[in-house]
Amino acid sequence: MSIVTSKSRVSSNTLAATIGHYLSTYGIVLSFVILFVVLSFANPNFLTSINLLNVLRQLSINGILAIGMTFVILTGGIDLSIGSILAVAGVVTGSLVTQQDPHNPLIAALAAVGVGAAFGAVNGALISRFRVPAFVATLGMLSIARGSTLLYSGGRPIPNLTPEFRWLGNGFVAGLPVPIIVFAIVFVLSWVVLRFSVYGRWLYAVGGNSRSARTSGIPVRTMIFSAYVIMGALAGLAGLVLTARTTSALPQAGLGYELDAIAAVVIGGTSLSGGVGSVFFTLIGALIIGTISNGLDLMGVSSYYQQIIKGTIIIAAVLIDRMRNIDP
Amino acid sequence: MLMSGTTRRRTLAILSGLSLAAMGWSCQTEAASKPARIVAIVQSLDTEYNVLWANAAKAHPALSDGTATLTILDGRMDALNQSNQFDTALSQKFDAVIFIPVDINAGNDPVQRAKSAAVPVIGSNTLISNTSLYASYINSDDVQAGSILAKSVLDRIGGKGNVVIVEGMIGQSAQVQRLQGIQETLKAYPTVKVLETKTANWSRAEAQSLVENWITEHHGEINGVIAENDEMAVGALNAVKAQGLDPAKVAIAGIDGITDALLAVKRGESTSTLQDADAQAQGAIDLALRKVIGEGYAPRAAVWDVNGGKLAWAGGTAQHYSVPWIPVTMQNVDKLLAMRKSQ
Repeated sequence: MSIVTSKSRVSSNTLAATIGHYLSTYGIVLSFVILFVVLSFANPNFLTSINLLNVLRQLSINGILAIGMTFVILTGGIDLSIGSILAVAGVVTGSLVTQQDPHNPLIAALAAVGVGAAFGAVNGALISRFRVPAFVATLGMLSIARGSTLLYSGGRPIPNLTPEFRWLGNGFVAGLPVPIIVFAIVFVLSWVVLRFSVYGRWLYAVGGNSRSARTSGIPVRTMIFSAYVIMGALAGLAGLVLTARTTSALPQAGLGYELDAIAAVVIGGTSLSGGVGSVFFTLIGALIIGTISNGLDLMGVSSYYQQIIKGTIIIAAVLIDRMRNIDP
Repeated sequence: MLMSGTTRRRTLAILSGLSLAAMGWSCQTEAASKPARIVAIVQSLDTEYNVLWANAAKAHPALSDGTATLTILDGRMDALNQSNQFDTALSQKFDAVIFIPVDINAGNDPVQRAKSAAVPVIGSNTLISNTSLYASYINSDDVQAGSILAKSVLDRIGGKGNVVIVEGMIGQSAQVQRLQGIQETLKAYPTVKVLETKTANWSRAEAQSLVENWITEHHGEINGVIAENDEMAVGALNAVKAQGLDPAKVAIAGIDGITDALLAVKRGESTSTLQDADAQAQGAIDLALRKVIGEGYAPRAAVWDVNGGKLAWAGGTAQHYSVPWIPVTMQNVDKLLAMRKSQ
């Protein structure tokens, strides 16, 4: 599998730099493989089908968010509001499937994705049409969406959700947990779109160099707007899965989730200045974060160390990338 | 730690799903030859009470003599994270789980999953709403805590005046039940007016800002602050002092007995009631070991009557154990502070 590097084509980097770049990104895959092997030897319960399914299910929510974040970061943007959008979508969907007021889970699912996309559209409009910096617009939205969540739910969790709805979080299809299947579908669709469609090529072009993208006729503002709508919709989807998984809609859900999503994207080597990266490497980033937290939990490592280790990995991933790029 | 091959683990996994009898047998044989493996899934190791609980649990004598091992997983105040940790605990084949849930309702489902896998769950401290899913649970009565809190403030303001209520994180059993106790007690005092009720999410910093704003809004009118935990009571006390008010003239009460609250009691600035972390943590481990090892297990925690404490052990098979609250007074505060240094 290769990655799309339209930026390096545009700026005509040297061959050595390109090789260095490939090495650094595949280095991440190598790190993951090493991590996986080490954990398999360190803990006899790590390499069991039950645990591996657990790891995948545990990282599916962060994985869905990180894929959305890849779209946004590819345009050179950022979205800090996704934890709150996840929560607002969660309480809206939860309120539709209580035992007292049981709607079809499909309606609840559409509502969650719709609410997420609507909040994402506001972000997108502010950033693409009104030129509010993404950091500021989504920081504001972080607060607005959390407030909306508390307002809508009265600050209280919504319990007693219907069993049909809870299946979305706890059910199985052909032995696979539903959250993993949802994550897999999101991953495959995003990968195909970014890799093979015109939309994907345009998105990379916008992030790589928006001025030359505009002169070549790409609707830059619409492209940026769409990235935030996709991010919002995926945050809504993550909120749906999380609510089904925790079996009640929690107003405090998703606090700080944006940081893990950004971390997965950054560990995967996607450039924060846009134009370079891929959802495949975001998947690796999400796998590394999920595997580390599972593996360290299994080995009984204190959560205090876990936070330090996670932070170190984020910085190290970018540092290695920088050193390789400067070296030649 | 299990040293058997992957095949055997898979077989065990299938067996545990299919046959409770097979699972019971495998637990017993492991207990006879190896230490019982216990996992504690706690709310958050960012809060002092949880840290005290965890330290007390780690000091249980059964861990140092090899009867049991204990792994503590930090829930990080996230119900989803706790649900994930239950899956990890079950795939790890722990013999028993001790659980302090983040959310009263969201905690039911993971406990149900453990129960289906024939792994006993012992509740401690805060609870899930469906307590019948627990093999056993040990906590302190939070409705009673609420009434202790309210009475303490009402006594000091002479049963009349205005109070404010600082609530814990909405939806947790401690918040729901402490509020219930507060409201039941306040009913007997129709002249006492509740000016404000709002959550500060168990947080000292949030409570401090909240109470500062209330003091600005109701200047000179607040006679008492009822805080659903000590962190928030300390925050309220800080706010009162920061606004230049005399803490002796505003009755503040909290509950839990964290170190700063003990110090505030010693200075005569507020009241507190100790939630016995030692008893809840070590008691929970005894209950877990009673389930895993069986009738022959003799409990080790000091709280039990068989060890000279106040709580009836009753063979370790009761469903619910209620740890008494310990009022913090001028007489016992120095002793409690000295104990805290060793915790």
